[in-house]
Amino acid sequence: MSEPLETVGELAARLAAGATSARALVERSFERLDALDPALHAFLFTRREAALAEADASDARRARGERRSPLDGIPVALKDNIVQAGEPASCASRILAGYVSPFDATVVARLRAAGAVIVGRTNLDEFAMGSSTENSCAGPTRNPWDPSRSPGGSSGGSAAAVAAGIVPAAFGSDTGGSIRQPAALCGVVGMKPTYGRVSRFGLIAFASSLDQIGPFARTAADCALLLEAIAGHDPHDSTSLPEPAPDFSRALTGDVSGLTLGVLREADDQSGMTPGVHARVSEAVAELERAGAKVREVSLPHTRFGIAAYYLIATAEASSNLARYDGVRYGRRAADGAGGITALYERTRAEGFGAEVKRRILLGTYVLSAGYYDAYYRKAQQVRTLLRRDFDAAFEACDAIVLPTTPEAAFRLGEKSSDPLALYLADVFTVSANLAGLPGVSIPCGLDAGLPVGFQILGRPLEDATVLRIADAYQRRTEHHLARPPR
Amino acid sequence: MSAEFETVIGLEVHCQLRTRTKLFSAADVSYGDAPNHHVTAVCLALPGALPVLNDAAVELAARAALVTHCKLHGLSVFARKNYFYPDLPKGYQISQYEEPLATGGWLEIDTPAGGARRIGITRIHMEEDAGKSLHEAGDPETQIDLNRAGVPLVEIVSEPDLRSPEEAGAYLRKLRQLLRWVEASDADMEKGQLRCDANVSLRPRGETRLGTRTEIKNLNSFRFVEAAIRAEVARQAEVLGGGGRIQQATLGFEPERGRLFVMRLKENADDYRYFPDPDLIPLRLSEERIEHIRAALPELPDERERRFSGELGLAAADARTLVASRALADWFESAARAHGNAKHVANWVLRDVLAALKERDAELEAVRLAPEGFAALLRLVDAGRVTARSARSLLGELLFAGGDPEALVRERGLEAVSDAGALEAAVEEVLAANAKAVASFAAGDAKSLNFLMGQVMRRTGGKADPARVRELLAERLARR
Repeated sequence: MSEPLETVGELAARLAAGATSARALVERSFERLDALDPALHAFLFTRREAALAEADASDARRARGERRSPLDGIPVALKDNIVQAGEPASCASRILAGYVSPFDATVVARLRAAGAVIVGRTNLDEFAMGSSTENSCAGPTRNPWDPSRSPGGSSGGSAAAVAAGIVPAAFGSDTGGSIRQPAALCGVVGMKPTYGRVSRFGLIAFASSLDQIGPFARTAADCALLLEAIAGHDPHDSTSLPEPAPDFSRALTGDVSGLTLGVLREADDQSGMTPGVHARVSEAVAELERAGAKVREVSLPHTRFGIAAYYLIATAEASSNLARYDGVRYGRRAADGAGGITALYERTRAEGFGAEVKRRILLGTYVLSAGYYDAYYRKAQQVRTLLRRDFDAAFEACDAIVLPTTPEAAFRLGEKSSDPLALYLADVFTVSANLAGLPGVSIPCGLDAGLPVGFQILGRPLEDATVLRIADAYQRRTEHHLARPPR
Repeated sequence: MSAEFETVIGLEVHCQLRTRTKLFSAADVSYGDAPNHHVTAVCLALPGALPVLNDAAVELAARAALVTHCKLHGLSVFARKNYFYPDLPKGYQISQYEEPLATGGWLEIDTPAGGARRIGITRIHMEEDAGKSLHEAGDPETQIDLNRAGVPLVEIVSEPDLRSPEEAGAYLRKLRQLLRWVEASDADMEKGQLRCDANVSLRPRGETRLGTRTEIKNLNSFRFVEAAIRAEVARQAEVLGGGGRIQQATLGFEPERGRLFVMRLKENADDYRYFPDPDLIPLRLSEERIEHIRAALPELPDERERRFSGELGLAAADARTLVASRALADWFESAARAHGNAKHVANWVLRDVLAALKERDAELEAVRLAPEGFAALLRLVDAGRVTARSARSLLGELLFAGGDPEALVRERGLEAVSDAGALEAAVEEVLAANAKAVASFAAGDAKSLNFLMGQVMRRTGGKADPARVRELLAERLARR
């Protein structure tokens, strides 16, 4: 089997130097995929012939002295909830079995314009609902560090594909931590940009006010390159921000002196963190301090309501977003039978959705019901406002907040599937960034009993570059991101 | 209806905005095309599709709000109304709920009794239309046409201020006139561009609280609106008069049989689980933009009417008729300006042009004759170059085909016989050929003059000026 693929930066340099070709990279990618993925199950769909043809086109461009971007000829993977024209988009759900999208997500159009080669579509929790990739109708993805464990989720397939070196980069979506949590559990970098920084057009919605597409890679520097390719205003998404995307790579100075990092006061931390996670994150903070950053305590008193607010808002939006899967126009439709259209809806949705999706649709429908709206949905929106104010106040005192990504390292498959609430509670460190719309990145910071641990850097809205700059400075001083899964 | 009850009516009117494309997608708004030919990923609610607000629709909705004296809000919020139906692709309709575009307006109607009354408008909000479910006779399957899905609408909700079916009709006509006037909507009820739900209740005279109401859905003609309300008022009066109670219900109307039927009772009221649509940002209208839209509004029908009667000296009823539509008012006013005598032009428009339109069942928009051309035709009549009768006979053709009146008169040989010699010759011939009539005139039978006139007109093909013919005949008969 060929070696794991290097970073995007290294591969781009080797392509530019003529030391390799896009075709060779895509072939290496598929060699690893063929060897590893039967056990890993990171991919739901691959597009080998099309990817090779696109690689050849990239090589032809390079032969003519053209390069569309640093991503030209680089193989990447997409979470199976980001649509690509002519390709299936199943969201790991039976209800979208056989569905093929007729259009490109804006992110896909931009990646193609940048010359990136999409090799396939990765596994996820059904409709991105979950934190383990076990809620996939196609079965779970396994963690490359320990196949008996979960890669996290919901973008578990993308995280595992990068961790296993099948692709140097992949894209996922993050609604409550679905990029950062699997990145931490798989030992890679995962970034959720500021809400509105990347177009959601073509991202199959879970919770529209929280969803954001972002990259997975081995380094923060790669994430800067990937974000440059996909960020920026999109007229097809009304919630996309008008501000032009900056040159993220140029912000990576390696220098954090003069920056103040906030750490959560112990009183605000009700996480049930394991000692190993606590130790690795403390070491990461100490490393950044050595690099010249100032560290001070900040308080986010309303984060303790974050999980509750998140699961009210996310399920409410999901209950409405998933109403379109009714078997009338596309996707899977239950066999005709008695009872007319209502019965057909019921059978289609009963057969098409998995248990977790049904649970969340039920919760969300309840949350929005007359008589409960004020007590749940409106109250949750009020918490969201308070949480934003907490962050505004904290960012008066610091430039970024450093905290763990998850309370513990990768858990065993099946370990939490009988207790959904325990799994919801594990999102404690990640949901706040979604509720407040902040940029956040998870960086590998060492191992706990042989399993990766990640820490998070959260920044002010639109300060994606600051977050990446701190992450990059950390990676320049450490080697945790170079650690590879065993074998 | 019984004298002991007062009728209370409120109308909810759905009106299609006159945009080229849909409210949240680039698909064309069309009517009568093959099913599902005007749909995009957004209309089909494909996975990953997102709505983008059509700014042109906002402008038209704002006009509708301003013309009905509503407070146009600087911030309004689109919300999702959630329910499952096969012609509702997303499983929700994008509408406005807690924060509508506009609130608190009114419009004035003429009451059947002859006065004028202000009818309050509670709110105006924007929303998208649903598609259509089609059922073919004998086919157990339902077909879905999504051409209409996503077409922009405003819903205009009145206060329960209307007191009779006739007032409801007058309100709806006034609303239609205003919406068309500012080109917010074509408001063609036959095409479903204006649809009406009526809330109807009765209460004992003198009572200020509202009685239990029923809602009659989907009334799609002025006639049906009044007929349905009349039927419901009669039904409620009978129930209440007999000591019964009205059950809150949603009703439908069968126009063929003039009958109401219960669609559903309100006990199982729908819960639409409204919440702000997270795919759309709040709609903001700056003060400047609102003022810009207000400033661009045309002179409104009430002002126009006052000007027609004041400045142009038209009778009040004539002025009212001429502002029935902006197209008619504009056409008349241009013709009056080109001609110079507004009253004269008004008489011709009110009598002849409106009759010609009615005969064809057409609106003024179908007229191809420029108002200046119409003025030119009237000037030909004024100058005696064509008789009024000939002018009238050409009007239908000129109105709908357009053209130069003078050229057409010449082409048809309809120039009035003004050549004195030719006319005198015709008179002499007629007198010579009708000795009996001449004799009876001489014997004192005045009606014989009419007979002789008719003969001269026939001989000249109707092109002679009747006044001149009468003069000549009288002169010659007197000489005999």
